[in-house]
Amino acid sequence: MSTVAADVPVFPAFEQVFQGFAGQIKQLREMAPEPRLSDEVRVQRAIDTLIAETNADEAVWLESCIRCGQCTNACHYFQATGETKYAPMRKMSLYRKVYQRELGPFRWWYRLVTSPVKLKDLEDLQELVYDSCSECGRCAMVCPMGIDTATLVHHQRSALVAAELVPAELAVMRMEQKHQGTVFGASADALHKMIDTIRAKAGIEIPLDKPKAEVMVLSSAVDLVGNGNGLLATAKVMNHMGVDWTVCSSAFESANFGLLSGDMRLWAKLVHPIVQTAERIGAKTLVIAECGHAYPALRWNPMLKGGELPFEMMYMSEYLGRQARAGKLRLRQLKGRITYHDPCKTGRRGGAFEEPRALLKAMSADLVEMPANKEYNWCCGGGAGIFLLESATRLRDESFKIKMQQVNATGADAVVVSCASCRLNFESGRFKNHWDKRVESLVELVADHLVEGDRVGSVTPIQGAAA
Amino acid sequence: MTLLDFARGPAIHWSLIILIVGTIWRLLGVLVLTRGADLSRPRDAFGNFKGYRTVFSRSWPSGEFTTTTRYQTAMAYVFHIATLIVVIGIVPHIEFITGLTGASWPGLPNAAGVALGVIALASLLALIMRRVSRPQVYCSSWGDYFSWVVVAAPLVTGLMAFAHLGPRYETMLAIHILSAALLFAWFPFGKLMHAFWFVFSRAQSGVAYAHKGVRI
Repeated sequence: MSTVAADVPVFPAFEQVFQGFAGQIKQLREMAPEPRLSDEVRVQRAIDTLIAETNADEAVWLESCIRCGQCTNACHYFQATGETKYAPMRKMSLYRKVYQRELGPFRWWYRLVTSPVKLKDLEDLQELVYDSCSECGRCAMVCPMGIDTATLVHHQRSALVAAELVPAELAVMRMEQKHQGTVFGASADALHKMIDTIRAKAGIEIPLDKPKAEVMVLSSAVDLVGNGNGLLATAKVMNHMGVDWTVCSSAFESANFGLLSGDMRLWAKLVHPIVQTAERIGAKTLVIAECGHAYPALRWNPMLKGGELPFEMMYMSEYLGRQARAGKLRLRQLKGRITYHDPCKTGRRGGAFEEPRALLKAMSADLVEMPANKEYNWCCGGGAGIFLLESATRLRDESFKIKMQQVNATGADAVVVSCASCRLNFESGRFKNHWDKRVESLVELVADHLVEGDRVGSVTPIQGAAA
Repeated sequence: MTLLDFARGPAIHWSLIILIVGTIWRLLGVLVLTRGADLSRPRDAFGNFKGYRTVFSRSWPSGEFTTTTRYQTAMAYVFHIATLIVVIGIVPHIEFITGLTGASWPGLPNAAGVALGVIALASLLALIMRRVSRPQVYCSSWGDYFSWVVVAAPLVTGLMAFAHLGPRYETMLAIHILSAALLFAWFPFGKLMHAFWFVFSRAQSGVAYAHKGVRI
């Protein structure tokens, strides 16, 4: 037998992981911090943030909207509910007002004819830029002016961070990562324990804190506190390829609640230890775990001089796809018809379209594309932290029906995702709708279809330890 | 000074001055702002340049959105093309432009001019009817309606002047020229400025997405 893990599950199925997470998320609301600043200060801080983050790009986009309504065709939240307030163009109205009053070429006029922004306006904005926009960018695909509403929404999230108006769940996660450096309590200890568990129960070795390694692999809180299968699968695949790799306890978390909440400073702060560690160990490649937003947080981080870094950053699906193309992965055939869901952050807003498909092709998968795919893929409804928000439950559930229709149209038995957040949201939708489709993680699928034996390279997993 | 003299003289001249100064002011006021740098490494070394094609490619909706956008796309195209031909193609307009610039070219037959004017007005009506009937989609501001009125007015008054409808011809012509003056004067302040913004807006998004290897 190749590995014990293939026969006896080491960790619970993702369905149970999802149930556990749902319980944890519920508790977050109760821990939400109360605003400390006065109303005036909060409003002023929001305005100052928008002013500071508005460059010519933002100004042009804010100036360009002609209220033609085309963006409503693209937005899953609007399409699912038909409610006016969820029209993408409305999600920039308050930003435009601030811009026109503070920065625009006719600001003296707008200050005369428009009323100042009030705290109530910002409170109303919360639902528009957190609950009802996953920053998926689909509206930018149809806008005749080419306005990138997702970027404008993100600046407004930053403004709401300054105004202490981050939704409870994201606020708690942000504070935890800011002050404790953990996500869902996933500390370095949790990482050590998980690695020990995987070694003991599955007989898979995870090289921890190697002083030098070619490839540095990140994990994610979902892997560490819930779905151990993610890290286990990653280890199996990396070992199979015989890659010189390591996981570092000084920097292992992919998730970035700075980016998700809109806290730019925290975003930058969380990236530093990862970059420093990768440089210290001389990594050539940094592999980001299946955690969609971690891709823009690192690979597309506009604050990080990517060209000067001595290593390349790749998303898990991107890295494995390239390895598959290079013939480094020996994979069994994947049975049954499948379809692939492009996470917004790695697809339309990340550009990693072909690699996951190359990986599925390497498994000779019967891949059927959804009617809208790649750049036009519909968001699952749970991205950009929305999966965590209780207040967004209805929006998430309704918009997920679009996704279900898309998947159903393919006739596939399973939908493959490569993002923990999408996966949790799919699992939630599957559960609520008694949907008959399986939801698979790409890296776990690859791990399950490795052809063992005749391994390339030097790293050989310890086998049979828990047999 | 008659109303027609006023329209042909100070009204149209001042409106053109407002048009030019206002447009430059608004464009510069935005374009002088700094540009935020994206320091991340582009997917392809020269891939970003591919983004500029969005300026042209976005002139037509992608296949994904054909069904949902076709009414508006069709009407918008009919309106823009018909209006453009009327503005630069009929004899009285050419004479007006010749008076300003000295340039001249052959004009369209009257019947064609009238037909195009009617088509432009019909498409404009088709667009406003849709806007009014589906408020949840359009989120219209007063500026949207005002811009519509300001654009429709020269078409209506021009057709009326040509057909000798309404007040006597000189008065109607004066009203037509005044409505055009209003259009020029309003242009820099409302959404008609999209005539300029679309180039920058599309280019920016095209480049931002091309940076990541995505063609929008």
